Amino acid sequence: MRVDERDVAEANGSLEHVYEPWLFLRMLDELAATDLGIGFVYSVLDVLAERYDLTDATIVLHDESLGTQAFRLGRRQVDPDTLEAVGGTPGVYAEPDVVPEVVRDAVRSVCQLSLSLHLARYSAAHDALTNISNRRTFDAALQTAAVQSSRYGWAFTLVIADLNELKSINDNSGHAAGDDVLRLFGFALRRSVRAGDTAARIGGDEFAVILANADGSEVESFLDRLRTTLVPSGIVISFSVGTATAPRESTDPAELYRIADARLYEKKGMIKR
Amino acid sequence: MMTPSEEDFELELRSLPGVLSVGVDHLDNGEVDAVTLFVRGQDPESVRHVALQVASLYYPTAAVTVEDANRAPSSRHAPDGRVALVRTDFNVHEGVSEVELSFAGRIGVGRSGSGALIGGAEATLSALREVGYEIPFFLVAVNSIATVRGWPVIVTLRSLSDEGDRIGIAQSNGDLESAARATLDALNRYLSTLELNDA
Repeated sequence: MRVDERDVAEANGSLEHVYEPWLFLRMLDELAATDLGIGFVYSVLDVLAERYDLTDATIVLHDESLGTQAFRLGRRQVDPDTLEAVGGTPGVYAEPDVVPEVVRDAVRSVCQLSLSLHLARYSAAHDALTNISNRRTFDAALQTAAVQSSRYGWAFTLVIADLNELKSINDNSGHAAGDDVLRLFGFALRRSVRAGDTAARIGGDEFAVILANADGSEVESFLDRLRTTLVPSGIVISFSVGTATAPRESTDPAELYRIADARLYEKKGMIKR
Repeated sequence: MMTPSEEDFELELRSLPGVLSVGVDHLDNGEVDAVTLFVRGQDPESVRHVALQVASLYYPTAAVTVEDANRAPSSRHAPDGRVALVRTDFNVHEGVSEVELSFAGRIGVGRSGSGALIGGAEATLSALREVGYEIPFFLVAVNSIATVRGWPVIVTLRSLSDEGDRIGIAQSNGDLESAARATLDALNRYLSTLELNDA
């Protein structure tokens, strides 16, 4: 629209008001209060519903690794007819259809960013195969636990576990079967740790657990829970463990790791050079 | 407001193959009572099996239901559908244009190293082919022309079977997006009556 046309439209009171600062202020509030994530998408849907008196709304996004993702107002299940009607095309779909295009575009962009950031944050901290913490998260957690143990005397036990036969599974049954074993073991670890513990995959077939507030005597009950969780799968997974406890044996993360690793290989009957 | 744990729970469910959407029901105390997954292209029972495992880690008592969305589109024709331009990106370091299109749940990404203008049109044609269209046209010209209202881009496509040229025009945010939209504009009527190839 040229300037002169805009002036005329404004004078006639017929200019469509498409810039809505309230939306962006609300979104900024939300950004300041939370990490960008899936929750943000639902918050924006709530804001839209309130502002435009919507009875229903769905945001369809597309992510390279997640594919098409639909989010419906109130965290309700997506309406199949709506999804089919829009053909999975990213956008904001509202009932009644009264949300201005410029608002829908802004909402879609910021929600797309929110989903991507959530995924990036999650991926940076978790192992892609098992969904437990990755090496980076484990290193940070071990460092934190060691510092607290050194400063306050808080006890924790580091458990390192190594799958004994992953290579032969990979060689004999293929890597997909090996991946299934890793997934299953990772899942069992997640089920077996307590709130506050950290379970991580730190190498190909090597896992580590930080048992918080544990002086070593809790290891056996943890291992019992782990074995119990593995039993229903019907897949026999042989693994060896080595442990080290802080502050009794050390408060240095590298030294604790070395002690646990040496005990692990001792149990495996191997000589570590 | 969702807790970080709930957000990760939902993200983990959405990461399962074929999951398009997740619905969550809560108890009065705010605990998750039931989740419903909407899946396409996967065996619902195998998805449910994994989803139950995931749910058991976060909300052990939550019920898990999987709704099968494996129903074919109502028509293989696309008279009412519309190819949507999802995204355009231009990598200034490599000079590569990237265009992402969407149609009927399919996503196509096309790339071209011919700059923003020609590359935008080429990448759009490539993305259309990835979505599943057969495009019997080749690119003849891409021109950006000066007008009093900006720099619209005109794309000319020529039929491989001598059915004449198709011309599209668009002005949008920059040359790349304009070229992509002009290419879609040129193919507008052709696409609306076409059948998709099986992906």
